[in-house]
Amino acid sequence: MRKNVIYLLAQQLCMDAIRSKVMGIASILMVFLLSFSVYSGWENYHDQNNTRDVIQGEVQESWENNPDKHPHRMAHYGSFAIRIKHILSVFDLGMENFVGNAVFLEAHKQNTVNFSEASMSTGLLRFGEVSLAMLLKVIVPLLIFYLGFATIARERENGTLKLLIGQGITRREIVFGKWLGLWSLSLLFLFTVFIVLLFFVVIESHDVMQAESPFRYTILLVSYILFFGILSAITILVSAFSKTAKGALVKLLGIWLLFVIIVPKSLQAIGYYLYPTPSKIEMETAVEHDLIKQGDSHNPDDPHFKAIKDSVLLANNVEKVADLPFNYGGFIMAKGEALSTKVYLEHQEKLYDVYNKQNNLERYSAFVNPYTAIKNLSMALSGTDFKSFLHFKGKAEAYRFKLAQEMNRLQMDLIPNKGKAGPNTISGDYWKKFPPFEYNFLSTTKVFKNEMISILALFLWGVLGVLGLLRLSTNLKAI
Amino acid sequence: MYTLLFKSFFRTKIFLVSLMLLITVGTVSILIGKQYLVKQEKTIVAAQEFQKESVKRILKYNDKDIGLLLYYLKFTLVKKPANISAISIGQSDVNPLLQAVTIRGLEGQKYDTDFGNPSLLMSGNLDLGFVIIYLFPLVLIAMTFNLYSEEKELGTWRILAAQTSKKGKFLFNKLIVRILFVFAIFVFLMFLASGILQIPMNQNFWAIFFHSLLYLLFWSALCLFTVSLLKNSSFNALALISIWVVLTILFPAVVNNYVINKYQVPEALDAMVEQRDGYHEKWDLEKNATMAGFYEAYPQFNNYPVPEDRFSWIWYYGMQHMGDLAAKETSTEMVEKVKLRNVISEKIALFVPTMHAQLSFNSLAGTDMVSHLNFLKALTQFHERLRVDFYPRIFDKNPSDSVDWSNHKAKFYTLKNNFSWIYIMLPTILITMLITVFGLFNLRKL
Repeated sequence: MRKNVIYLLAQQLCMDAIRSKVMGIASILMVFLLSFSVYSGWENYHDQNNTRDVIQGEVQESWENNPDKHPHRMAHYGSFAIRIKHILSVFDLGMENFVGNAVFLEAHKQNTVNFSEASMSTGLLRFGEVSLAMLLKVIVPLLIFYLGFATIARERENGTLKLLIGQGITRREIVFGKWLGLWSLSLLFLFTVFIVLLFFVVIESHDVMQAESPFRYTILLVSYILFFGILSAITILVSAFSKTAKGALVKLLGIWLLFVIIVPKSLQAIGYYLYPTPSKIEMETAVEHDLIKQGDSHNPDDPHFKAIKDSVLLANNVEKVADLPFNYGGFIMAKGEALSTKVYLEHQEKLYDVYNKQNNLERYSAFVNPYTAIKNLSMALSGTDFKSFLHFKGKAEAYRFKLAQEMNRLQMDLIPNKGKAGPNTISGDYWKKFPPFEYNFLSTTKVFKNEMISILALFLWGVLGVLGLLRLSTNLKAI
Repeated sequence: MYTLLFKSFFRTKIFLVSLMLLITVGTVSILIGKQYLVKQEKTIVAAQEFQKESVKRILKYNDKDIGLLLYYLKFTLVKKPANISAISIGQSDVNPLLQAVTIRGLEGQKYDTDFGNPSLLMSGNLDLGFVIIYLFPLVLIAMTFNLYSEEKELGTWRILAAQTSKKGKFLFNKLIVRILFVFAIFVFLMFLASGILQIPMNQNFWAIFFHSLLYLLFWSALCLFTVSLLKNSSFNALALISIWVVLTILFPAVVNNYVINKYQVPEALDAMVEQRDGYHEKWDLEKNATMAGFYEAYPQFNNYPVPEDRFSWIWYYGMQHMGDLAAKETSTEMVEKVKLRNVISEKIALFVPTMHAQLSFNSLAGTDMVSHLNFLKALTQFHERLRVDFYPRIFDKNPSDSVDWSNHKAKFYTLKNNFSWIYIMLPTILITMLITVFGLFNLRKL
């Protein structure tokens, strides 16, 4: 293979494409969409995070300003955890608007994460959302197909392919030249998007929470470069194996519709069909059922709680709970909280297992559909996938548990038992000592682990693409 | 002539592919709708069971103190499921089907969500509405984009042109054959859906039916117009797919982003915090700080005494209600904002048949935003009725068995649904007519 011949062919393809009408219209459309997504992505990120930051601050302030009171009242006063957006959500909205944003954290109860954007939206949300990643995942692939469907097919129809080979250019040079040309063309769009994105990553780099975003950004860039390489290879292959340019176009459009719209949605729907999930009320009923089996705290004669009581009395060598060296109410609530949380989390884990099964059908389809691979990888790196949300939810639940148990501990240590003399409230300074809710994003290493399949699939597709092109280099038909 | 056109159409590959695709995906979408309905049924049964069981269980240990009993007891209000919602699941997978609430502050319970797999929520439901809005147009495009250009490219056009003087009419008839075929599949699927999902053939069903037909006509008109430009096949395919992408993906998504950003709802988070603080701060204030507001809202309870030195239920439930009152203004603003989002979206949708179809399907199926807001309003009234009914019993310290608890089963709320045929049909009719006129005008020159 002669490098300069390949460059020449690639250059020629680019020049032809840039002069074409499709490119003209596409560029205008892309500029508009790009500006719009940058504007709406940034505004959404910036405004929402600002609002949430302010409210999270207010929540902490009001917590700290509570006067002296009984610690269990503070356990019910509770706190809120509000989800913060990752800077790369400006790039890929992912599930951002479909997951909740705020959760009330109180003793005894796991509340749902409420106020997702979806719950406050009209039916239009189902048409999808415009983001920089959506342009790269959905629109640019279509443009690559538009710009590349004719490359080899039309040259053959026109007879120029024969001429090229006649002039001593090898088939391999033609195939790789065209591929390189189409790929570079698509990178034009990619780099434009990523240069804009770099700006956002840089201005938020002062934030400790976003410290890993330059690294994530780099991985995203590499993944998309690879993805576009794969798409360009597919285009060249389809174009070469089609009799006419028209045939190539129709096939490529079909591939696009299948890969981007029909297959992902159908697989997701089939996954849902195969693995049914319980509704909230069903799961809560099951949780309650399991809890009562272990011990019903409402029942004064419950054997489970009676056994606890007896063993505590025995261990402390006293007759009545009132004589215990700690507050018995606080002690029992701490036990109850630990038990109910454990049971709840077990059920929740089961629910998420079912979700995983539902999603895996689509996830594994990455091996036949490169779009799925880049979709999942891009969401995960942008901190807008399901796992990122679960990370937040897990953190919030852990904080809730810590808060409830800390209040129980204070009650045990500082509040006298019923019938004993002593204050029924404790100093407000204790609230100030309890640390505020702090959230950090999923570590990038974890993201890699979660997305092994997508990465592997993308890599395999890359290898497959090159192999396909090599094979084409030997049996490309000139006529 | 039509028999011949039909025959030749039936022999094409695209006919078979389209038939298979639409029937398969259509049937799958109906089955998904069925599953959605079954899940709803199951949830409702579980809710009814839950209500019955929890009353029994909680009553067992709290029969002495009705105030404490009602602290725990939950009362369920269910949106009465309408089978037609299976055609257009809309927002009903995001918004809960039912809400089980205690008579404590409502604001903190009202917006609790159901569980949903966000991946599924994001990819959206594969319901019949989706098949109609997205896939049917694609099939129309696939069958018509080379209506003229194929004959031209194969060279058969010249033979044809020599044999007939009405070339435009010939093309038009060829198009009609394909449109009729698509209509036939659509009608089949709708009746299949009506059978499998047991949808009553009421006004709403026919409104979706005719709106869909109109929507398909709109796409037929677009295809006709593109064909009438007499360009080559590649151009047509490219142009029509681009139009499809713009109308079903880009434009609605841009509008959605715009509406979400323009009308942000920080009130949602504010109201949540206000409710909690409005309630909790009362614990640390004079009892009068609670009771003044409570008596103002419910003067009928004026004569119940509130002991200053100890806990009383009237004070407790008064504090709970104060939480709701503290958040009321912000909460109302939030609802207004959400409504505004809906109004703006609907207005823009009047000019874009895809968006208009989606929004009116949802609204006809009772799965739109407005239906859910109406449910929340009904939930507020339901909650108020319960409170006003229970308050005097709690304040009078009635025994728990003075209430006939068997009356407190899960209650149903029926969606009210008024629509205007003109509002639904007219925008698409006008747009379709306009495009058809241009298309036919172009064909006349042929």
